[in-house]
Amino acid sequence: MVTPDYYEFGSRAHIIAGHGAIEQIPGLLSSMGAQNPMVITDQGVVRAGLVDILLQALDSRITVKTIQDDVPADSDLKTVHTLAGQYRKYGCNAIIALGGGSVMDTAKGVNILVSASSDNLLAFSGANALTHALNPLVAVPTTAGTGSEVTQVAVISDPDNLRKLLFTSGFLMPDAAVLDPRMTLTLPAPVTASTAMDALSHAVEACLCMGRNPLSTAHAHEAIALISHNLVPVIRQPDHKPGRLALATGAALAGMAFSNSMVGMVHTLGHAVGSVCHAAHGTCMAVLLPYGMAYNLHKTQHLLADLLLPMAGADVYARTHPAERAQKAIDWIHRMNQRLHQATAGAHAVCLRDIKNQDGKGLVPRHLLPRIAHTALGDGSIFYNPEDLDYDDCLMVLEAAFDGALLDLSRVKKG
Amino acid sequence: MTDFMEIPPGRHYMKRWYLSCMLWFFGRAIQAAARVDDGVKSEFAAMPDNFTFCLGAFPSGPYMVVGKDARGRVRYLGSCISDRTIHLHLMFKNPALLFRVFAFQESTSVANARNRLYVHGDVPQACAVVRIMDMIQVFLLPKFLAKRAVKRYPAWPLKRRTLVRAQVYVRAFAGL
Repeated sequence: MVTPDYYEFGSRAHIIAGHGAIEQIPGLLSSMGAQNPMVITDQGVVRAGLVDILLQALDSRITVKTIQDDVPADSDLKTVHTLAGQYRKYGCNAIIALGGGSVMDTAKGVNILVSASSDNLLAFSGANALTHALNPLVAVPTTAGTGSEVTQVAVISDPDNLRKLLFTSGFLMPDAAVLDPRMTLTLPAPVTASTAMDALSHAVEACLCMGRNPLSTAHAHEAIALISHNLVPVIRQPDHKPGRLALATGAALAGMAFSNSMVGMVHTLGHAVGSVCHAAHGTCMAVLLPYGMAYNLHKTQHLLADLLLPMAGADVYARTHPAERAQKAIDWIHRMNQRLHQATAGAHAVCLRDIKNQDGKGLVPRHLLPRIAHTALGDGSIFYNPEDLDYDDCLMVLEAAFDGALLDLSRVKKG
Repeated sequence: MTDFMEIPPGRHYMKRWYLSCMLWFFGRAIQAAARVDDGVKSEFAAMPDNFTFCLGAFPSGPYMVVGKDARGRVRYLGSCISDRTIHLHLMFKNPALLFRVFAFQESTSVANARNRLYVHGDVPQACAVVRIMDMIQVFLLPKFLAKRAVKRYPAWPLKRRTLVRAQVYVRAFAGL
């Protein structure tokens, strides 16, 4: 790896990981002088009985003032403003975010408003708009994917303007991330697969994109190894606690990596598919990841070759000719998607055409690909991709990913 | 505390003068290209009227301000940011980092990836402005320098590489 002549890396997240980790939350909150938290979660988490597990873990030192369980699948401005009002109404002084990426990003948005005594979240959008530390926030992820529990980023939808607002600030990093495998044991296999592939896409892009640095790469390589070696076994044996903890740890490591190196075209296109078609983020990442790797192959061949070792292990790496390792890493991701497709009885999508809603209806019609490509050009992650992307490039990649065809590398423009 | 001699911060007058000249010409080139080049025109067409952006360096410039007026005409608005509303700021952390970009030691995308550039404003519009800047650099610079300034040197048609480029140069010098 070539060390850049300048880079920045920061990760002050306090991570409590392991079996029984949530029992540490009362002590954590007490040490922060916050005994009256609000719990932010969603209906799926409530139905899975995870809120009950959390409440049992909280002792007499903590009084949960209110439990707000109406966070939608895509966190939005209205929800954030409503929950901020509830926080003030019940006199809370901390937040426990129990859920996936949407819940944690909503909690970050609420924390901005209540800490700054503001009613206008838009005033804080963009990079480094926050100037003061926020109230205590403890993140308890119930998926192993988003990494939001250790990132300084929040993405919140503005449905009135059909856009996603990005908030980045060091102050958005939760005060503690609690990784307890009990929280992910009940996760359905397709969601386990797509969220873990989301984490894998964070780690892979952290290694390839322009903001990469030795520290983010070290975190990302370990994340790739943990996810690659544990994902399929966990899908086959969902109650495998060590595997669940390994996935949660991998997702947190990937979060730390991409929070510092940022991500590229896989997220550029994935965000656009998500905002235009309302497809699940993790599923989009799983489908688009090998295409993003292939598109950047000519500029990142040596970096991609290095990824084969944590992905496929030492034996495969040693058996593969150095010139073929990069392509083999791409093929390995394609194969991983196929294995997950089989292991989830076809629920895990391997191409954009396969992405369906709960009723089995396709979410990404072909005629929307031009609109998705146009939307992608306005995504900030496009800055960090190693190779340039214009509208035609986006459309070419989307069309290949729609059918699940291999990307025609002769059509990738090289300048 | 004992008395001490105050040491005023040093100023790199030549670098500042160079940056001011480059930003002045770059701003006029944006105005020129917005009149004659379809690529730049289409990027500005997606921006709202009365939209203003600036490129510069903390803490005190130099700056370049470009705006699209109520009639949709793109204009270079000078180097002063204090007397107008600016909707999008692209600001380097200090003039030395801005100099690296305008001395072609580093591309805008590398500067951004190394956290040298702050963007305050709407992200899709910032993406459009960076694409415009890339196109202007390709117009203004010889290929060996432009290849260092942009991620991918574009394969433009002959007319755009010659006739449109000449028009951009002439209009930028003339302020048209």
